[in-house]
Amino acid sequence: MKKKVLAVLLGGCMVAGLVAGCGSKDDGKATDGGDGGEGGGYHFEVVVKSFQSTYWQAAITGVDEKAEELGVTVNKTGPNAESDIADQVQMLNNAINQNPDGIALAANSQDAVLEALQTALDKEIPVVCFDTGVPNAPEGSVIATIATDNEAAGAVAAENMYEVIKDTIANATEQVRIGEVNQDATSANISGRGMGFINKMKELIEADGKTVAVVGNQYYVDQVENNGDEGSADVIIEVAVPAQTTVELSSTEASNIMTKEDTIAIFGSNQVTAEGVLTANQNLSVLAATPEDGVVGVGFDAGATLKAAVADGTLIGAVTQAPVDQGSLAIQALYDYCEEKEVKDIATDSYWYDAENMEDDDIAPNLYD
Amino acid sequence: MANKSVTKTAGTNKSFIDRMGGQKFIVLLIVIAMFIFFCAMSPQFRKYTTVVSILDYSYYIALMAIGVAFPLMTGGVDLSIGTGLICYSLIGGYLVIHQGWPTGAGMVVSILLGVAFGVINGCLVALMDLPPFLATLCTCMITRGFGSLIVGGFGIPWPTAAAPGGWFRSIFKIKMGGQNIPIGFLWIIILVIIMTFVLNHTKMGRYTLAIGSNKEATRLSGVNVKFYHIMAYVICGFFTGLAAIAYSAIFATVQPGSGAGFELDAIGGAIIGGVSMTGGVGSITGTLAGVFVICLLKTGLPFIGLTANWQQIITGIVLIISVLIDILKREKEAK
Amino acid sequence: MGEVILTMKGIDKSFPGVHALDHVDLEIRKGEVHALMGENGAGKSTLMKVLTGIYKKDSGTITYEGKEVEFHNTREAQDAGVVIVHQELNMLGHLTVAQNIFIGREFKKGIRIDDKKMNEEAKKLFERMHIDIDPTETMSRLTVGKQQMCEIAKAISHEAKVIIFDEPSAALTEAEIEELFKIIRDLRAQGLGIVYISHRMDEIKVITDRVTVMRDGTYVGTLITKDSTKDDIINMMVGRVIYEDPKTKNMTPPGAPVVLKVEHLNAGKMVQDVSFELHKGEILGFSGLMGAGRTETARALFGADPVDSGDIYVNGQKVTIRNPQDAVKCGIGYLSEDRKRYGIVVQKSVAENTTMADLDEFSNGPFIDKKKEKEIAQKYVESLATKTPSVDQLVVNLSGGNQQKVVIAKWLTRNCDILIFDEPTRGIDVGAKNEIYKLMNQLASEGKAIIMISSEMTEILRMSDRIVVMCEGKKTGELDISEATQENIMNMATREIN
Repeated sequence: MKKKVLAVLLGGCMVAGLVAGCGSKDDGKATDGGDGGEGGGYHFEVVVKSFQSTYWQAAITGVDEKAEELGVTVNKTGPNAESDIADQVQMLNNAINQNPDGIALAANSQDAVLEALQTALDKEIPVVCFDTGVPNAPEGSVIATIATDNEAAGAVAAENMYEVIKDTIANATEQVRIGEVNQDATSANISGRGMGFINKMKELIEADGKTVAVVGNQYYVDQVENNGDEGSADVIIEVAVPAQTTVELSSTEASNIMTKEDTIAIFGSNQVTAEGVLTANQNLSVLAATPEDGVVGVGFDAGATLKAAVADGTLIGAVTQAPVDQGSLAIQALYDYCEEKEVKDIATDSYWYDAENMEDDDIAPNLYD
Repeated sequence: MANKSVTKTAGTNKSFIDRMGGQKFIVLLIVIAMFIFFCAMSPQFRKYTTVVSILDYSYYIALMAIGVAFPLMTGGVDLSIGTGLICYSLIGGYLVIHQGWPTGAGMVVSILLGVAFGVINGCLVALMDLPPFLATLCTCMITRGFGSLIVGGFGIPWPTAAAPGGWFRSIFKIKMGGQNIPIGFLWIIILVIIMTFVLNHTKMGRYTLAIGSNKEATRLSGVNVKFYHIMAYVICGFFTGLAAIAYSAIFATVQPGSGAGFELDAIGGAIIGGVSMTGGVGSITGTLAGVFVICLLKTGLPFIGLTANWQQIITGIVLIISVLIDILKREKEAK
Repeated sequence: MGEVILTMKGIDKSFPGVHALDHVDLEIRKGEVHALMGENGAGKSTLMKVLTGIYKKDSGTITYEGKEVEFHNTREAQDAGVVIVHQELNMLGHLTVAQNIFIGREFKKGIRIDDKKMNEEAKKLFERMHIDIDPTETMSRLTVGKQQMCEIAKAISHEAKVIIFDEPSAALTEAEIEELFKIIRDLRAQGLGIVYISHRMDEIKVITDRVTVMRDGTYVGTLITKDSTKDDIINMMVGRVIYEDPKTKNMTPPGAPVVLKVEHLNAGKMVQDVSFELHKGEILGFSGLMGAGRTETARALFGADPVDSGDIYVNGQKVTIRNPQDAVKCGIGYLSEDRKRYGIVVQKSVAENTTMADLDEFSNGPFIDKKKEKEIAQKYVESLATKTPSVDQLVVNLSGGNQQKVVIAKWLTRNCDILIFDEPTRGIDVGAKNEIYKLMNQLASEGKAIIMISSEMTEILRMSDRIVVMCEGKKTGELDISEATQENIMNMATREIN
């Protein structure tokens, strides 16, 4: 047992070192600001989903900027991968043990963090959830949730994709297929986003008088209401989930769908799976601007690879969230709470971006590299 | 105890399989059988593009496996190759993307980092007598942290094929007449031939196997055991460096923090291909065949509609079976 | 001395090809210390293993406390009160003294182990032995001597009536031996029967009441210690008929140059200030009992183990040997006593083993010339008459004698002029033995210098031109073959009474 704790501590130190390394420049400034700032002295712990994705680096940028502005100190931790649920819980517990003035949390699992949240409540440490809500959190532990409306975000992807493919669906004489590659369904936002896409797409297609069947990963299929029959439906929506959230496995799942003759469109519902779609396309070269020429691709989030693909038209577009805003708002909410101001839940927007609008002022800041 | 002066007359009645190369041959048959099976089960699988994908994803595993076969054959192991690969790729790419180094220089840095960590692993194991499992587990953690530290936690997109400096992606795949030609496979075959030669016809290979069979007897024969023991890890590091380049060339973005678990694919491939866990026995051609068993499983299982969890279960079972075969083989030899 | 407690009569035991015990008798009385003596391989350990149930006897009877018994394992023997204290300590270093003593029969309190009671019981044991050891101390922190006391305490805790000490003093200091003797005398006074196996003649005189001598698996006789001399005992130990003709004179050509000179070599406890010279064309026998430091001397000379101090000269040149590579460069080859562990790579072919020491000879740069390698291997297979179907055969499939020939070939390819044969015929059957002897003589006549370490007196007397005798890490004598006899060698190999 002792060894285990030691190992976890060591691991924690390494991650802390990592964070210190990447944020060293900002830290210097933050300390300066803290000394000169008014009402400062608060210390917040930030636990993000992972340091793997540049998405979280963008969120941390928002955190750091706001912390500097308000003159508070923050310590940021996060596991190596979003699938490291146990690691994250341990980090959250460590954060609680620091007795900070508040914690900002982006939970990897809605269930695994419940016990830790209860501890935080017992110790009267306020928690702000950002990016991802924890619906079953103990009453009073989470003071605010700042998250993308993921159902809406998924729906944005569906609406924009449908614009491009609706004529093909309307004119199709045979069954057509729409693919979706999702990360595993352990957190509310990913599953919400996946279902948001599926439900919106189903609704749009059915509104035009066609039938839809959702197949593939059981977790998603089970949540679909009035699911159609796979044999007779006009449109199939196929949901795939890779064994681990790696580009390689995502791309295997994507190529499986993209090589099917009847596939007209595919949606990668986060950065890694969207990159998987692009990696698969390196060999398949099927992604196109219209269903007549190939498969229409839609991505999610940003990153250099995705941005390049949207810019050159490989993907018709992608949906981005507002990670910078979220990080910033989370710190603001904690600060307000400490200052005994009222805080409430905020649903941040998500934006459709494509080659035309990605340089626009309201879009560009959220397109991190 | 009396000694039986029985001299077995082997060599005269070798079975067909033994003449064809033993386990290597069986594994090759399994690879072919698996390929046929997946082709039969999934129409998407029997496409040229799928074959190209399988080859794409096999390069880095194959390179790591060729490398790690050497520590395995000395009776050790190198667990740092997975995170090492990502670390070398991140740092090489960082220099190219953020410091404006030429792509070639970044690639050389990746290889040199691999060699450097190989030297570290080798010294820890051969000079300081750390158990290989422990020593390389530590360097596994170090490389994981080190890579992320240098790049500041950001993913590294090596130049795309079209971008300036993107030429290196065509090392593994070129476009000809609208089709992707996976020429990377050619390099892998050439490297397998070279390393098979190294294993069977050079002192390096001979002593690698001798250390794995009986380190003390090798030492008492006047062999510089420490040097060759270190070199086994250096070869492993060198090939991990090559694997880092293959990974950078195939995948758009290299993400810090990933890479843990790659080593299991490589080590699993080597073991399936007949490299003994206890050292002394192994072949490079078998290793390559073993890698394709792993790669076919990884690629094929999603195509026949098995969900994520089943893929992991089946891969685990296949590994257990191959390790059991290794143990049974050794027991048979001990008799 | 009291009544008889244990009698072994007509004990017979054969292993395939070896008649290990040939109708051996032994009688132990209550309140006596009974020495069991004999050369290496005389059958002392085998006899004790038969007694404690490790081996099953072929015939003969064991009578213990008036009843005929047969123990099937050490547990049964222990329960009956016959306990052996081994030379190698079987202690678990991380556990405490008390935990070690009661391992396998821990006191329980419910499902919990009752450490408190174990500590108390251990304390009582130590009080009975009049020694001061803390039962809660971790075993590995005790000195070897104290650990031995614990082993004895463990034996006593079995309610032992007969305790067998197998070379108990080998690893002990003088002071510790004194303490050991005090305990043994104590146990004797309590009426226990004690078997004491040792090579140390002085200890035999000091501590034992009677001596039973064994030789080549047979019972030679029993003496009352105080009425006999060291010479009496040695004569009984070595008085065998030697069938093979011993060498009668030194075959080294007169005036042969010294090829190896070792001066004041020190390496750990087992090699203390050893000096000797080796001539071209000479076979120098190293004799001594188990643990005399002969193999350790060879390994130190070969660079396999670190040397503390001393000078080595090869062909008159002073050389530094830090590892086997250096030794091989000096032309020294070592044939280990444990071929399978140190001599050959069993899963490799005859050819690969033959060239193991000298791949440079068969290489162009880093590449091995396999054709040349096979030619050379084939040449030695023929010249040494190694029985193997081909040079591609794995050595694991060869017999012991042929494996030994492969190792000899290995050093011959390297042109080693100094060969150290450590127990060259161990585990080799009689016919093959003669072949190895012939080969060694042939090598010597060709001008190779050979050091032969052997525990077999006949082998020493048959092969050596000169003989170095060692005892407990020190060189105790050097003899020309013309003046060597079993008696004077054994005299040097056993410790003098101070």
